[in-house]
Amino acid sequence: MSDREPEDRYDLSSRRKSFLGLTKESALKGLFGGNAFVSIVVLGLITFFLFKEGFGFFGQYREDLTIYRKSGLEYVELMREEQNALSALNRYLNSIRTLQSEQLTESGLEFSDVKAVLRKDEDFFYDFEDLAFPLREHILEASEVVATARDSYEEMLDLQEHRQNLINAGRQSEANSFEITEIDLGQMFELVKSKEGDFNAINRHLEEEIPALLERAPIYDDPDLNSRMNRFKELATLFLSEIPVYEERIVLWNREDAISIGESFTSFIFGKKWVTNSSIQNWYGIVPLFSGSLLVAMIAMFFAVPFGVGAAVYVNQVARPLEQNLIKPFIEFISAIPSVVIGFFGIAVFGTLIRNMSGWDSMEWVNFFPLSERLTGFTAGCLLALMAIPTIFTLAEDALNNVPIAFKEASMALGSTKLQTIIRIIVPTALSGIISAVLLGFGRVIGETMVVLLCAGNRIEIPQFTEGIGVFFEPVHTMTGIIAQELGEVVNGSLHYRALFVVGLTLFLISLLINYFAQKIVLKFQISRG
Amino acid sequence: METALLGTPTRAKSIERIVFWLFRLATYFVLLCAAAIFADIFYKGGKTVFQSAFPFVNVAFLTESPQTLHVFEHAGQKYELSDSAFRIFKEEQGVSIVSETYAYSGGGIWPCIVGTVLLVVGAMLIALTLGVLSAIFLSEYSRPGKTLNAVRLSILNLAGVPSIVFGIFGMGMFVLAFGWNVSLIAGWFTLAFMVLPIVISASEESMRAIPQGLRDASLALGATKWTSIRTNVLPYAMPGILTSSIIGVARVAGETAPIMFTAAYALRDQLPWQGLERWYDFFFQGVMALPYHIYVVSAKIPQNEYTSRMQYGTAFVFLFIVAGITLISILLRIRMRKKYRW
Repeated sequence: MSDREPEDRYDLSSRRKSFLGLTKESALKGLFGGNAFVSIVVLGLITFFLFKEGFGFFGQYREDLTIYRKSGLEYVELMREEQNALSALNRYLNSIRTLQSEQLTESGLEFSDVKAVLRKDEDFFYDFEDLAFPLREHILEASEVVATARDSYEEMLDLQEHRQNLINAGRQSEANSFEITEIDLGQMFELVKSKEGDFNAINRHLEEEIPALLERAPIYDDPDLNSRMNRFKELATLFLSEIPVYEERIVLWNREDAISIGESFTSFIFGKKWVTNSSIQNWYGIVPLFSGSLLVAMIAMFFAVPFGVGAAVYVNQVARPLEQNLIKPFIEFISAIPSVVIGFFGIAVFGTLIRNMSGWDSMEWVNFFPLSERLTGFTAGCLLALMAIPTIFTLAEDALNNVPIAFKEASMALGSTKLQTIIRIIVPTALSGIISAVLLGFGRVIGETMVVLLCAGNRIEIPQFTEGIGVFFEPVHTMTGIIAQELGEVVNGSLHYRALFVVGLTLFLISLLINYFAQKIVLKFQISRG
Repeated sequence: METALLGTPTRAKSIERIVFWLFRLATYFVLLCAAAIFADIFYKGGKTVFQSAFPFVNVAFLTESPQTLHVFEHAGQKYELSDSAFRIFKEEQGVSIVSETYAYSGGGIWPCIVGTVLLVVGAMLIALTLGVLSAIFLSEYSRPGKTLNAVRLSILNLAGVPSIVFGIFGMGMFVLAFGWNVSLIAGWFTLAFMVLPIVISASEESMRAIPQGLRDASLALGATKWTSIRTNVLPYAMPGILTSSIIGVARVAGETAPIMFTAAYALRDQLPWQGLERWYDFFFQGVMALPYHIYVVSAKIPQNEYTSRMQYGTAFVFLFIVAGITLISILLRIRMRKKYRW
């Protein structure tokens, strides 16, 4: 339309021309408005789509958990807990034996002599190991039955759905052509349930044998070994006292208990396991990923806040103009380094550097050094700090810049030094801006993908916060990392696919929340410049 | 106070000096860290990209496709040949040669450069059209009020959403729901929507910064709304729009997460314009891209000296492109700021 208009903008008559009843003005307005409308719809669509795909998860997860319960897998897993406790005991016992053999080797004994000493009380160790055997067999058998039942049940559901689709598509004859064997989960479970007596018998056997066996526990000359053996006895007694608890749990467990949508929600939010591709049961609990993200972000902020804010104060208040003009663009320039390049640097150089440094003699006083892993939360956190610094620096510098010069002058006139002015007047005045800068830096760190995917080590486990500082040097997995790693291999519409969408949705909400608070803080504590 | 006048520093003064030195150290430490990354990549990458003999640039690296590298010894000489050269060599010699192979370590990165350029151009075309026109509407035509504020706030908030969220959205929407599969067009839209909030809010900001007096004066002279926008708003807002779009380009070129599932292939033999059956197949093909290539060669294959060459070379080229774009935007902004002041 506009092409036909003469270019002369002083031609007043051109305004009157119209096309399809639209003047040029309203057509243009329509064009701009239309674009704005499309943009807003598109951005709204993103939000809607995330929510739609995400919320589908909870219903599906509930069905999945229901099958887990109905098929009796949950029942078997309850029994397995006892087996795990027993295995843990066995591992502890073996560690004593390993320690003993190490001690003997160190004391200069020949290999054959070491073996002879060890053989003296090997009966005790082997007998204890054998005790775990019947329990393991029992659980293995039960687990196989219920897992098979569950698999065939899911297969049946798939076939039923397929048939229903065919019927809906009007292909009745085709739908009738294949047969679906009905699977009764209850019946299969009865097979397992009927053997509950066996389980109890195994427990009675354990209750009888373990105390008898503990009587025969070897006594060592070495006090360390002895105290460990005593500890083992304590643990074993504790295990014995817990056997009734395990039994009671199985009795209390009810196959008919329905799983509510709230339960599927809480098992996602508070779930401590993220397990995919498991033959028993897939778990989608966000806690390990969330805590990993948080851990990495904490490390990053630990470095980024002092350096970012410190640099901002320095550049804004202390540096000479020439320094200012050089440093500011340079730090802005850091934000231009693509994250994948930083991640690559972490893999190629920084991770190795950290591990090598942890092996230095001067670092021996740190009890968890030297590190065995190259890629840990610490590696990723340090690199992320470098990415957060430009964000924090730029915004904090802006905030400092906005402090009225009169504040500074008044303070200096009262005789305070420059440092006193900065600490008592300028930083407190700009504090709201600095806090929002830190928040936005945090948002950037939490949402960063490539660095954590490449450098955080990608081990899906909740970090061991009980280990003190050592927790920062563990490999972790993050929310962004898990999406990047697993999205490529999921089936459209599957539970796993939707679980990743919920993780994405969580990230989306976290970043919105951070942005929202950052803006609120700035507005609320804005200084009046009268 | 007397001592201060005599030139002996007071306690407060000495503390101040120490603290200022700490600030200074913190600042320069940050600069040093960044410089170390640049230096490492430019030094080691430079070895791959440049060479000492004419034409000084490693042309093969920039113009060939990634290939498997064959390392072998033949007739007492050590050879390192990429797959295609290795086959020709074998035929020429007429012997079977046992070689050690290293995936992705031979050849060059030409398809990745092409893919990245295509992705950036397409995505920015979509984002700028939608974004700038929307910004004109929001800043010039829309009526101020609660709705406008809400729209502005939500656009601003979306600008801070992590790129992987746009990636998972693009995967669910374009790749799966629309059935576009992993393709250029899915990547374009994903990247475009990722930068759209940035483009809109930055463009609108630069338009709103223009004093109302300019518009009023133009309208008072009898100009129509559009004329006054065209002659009195857009020319002065141009620097701001330009800077924001260049920042957008750097962001689009630099992000990996959104294209991982929507547009990028780890390896593709053909260049985008080769082997097309119908003209529109061009849009529905995946491409290789520099950032994804770096990810693949640094995370998915075993590390050794041969892959390290490829990694650093790719990182060098990629960093060079992105940093170059950003540098232009920073310089442009400094120049433009000096040009217009009110």
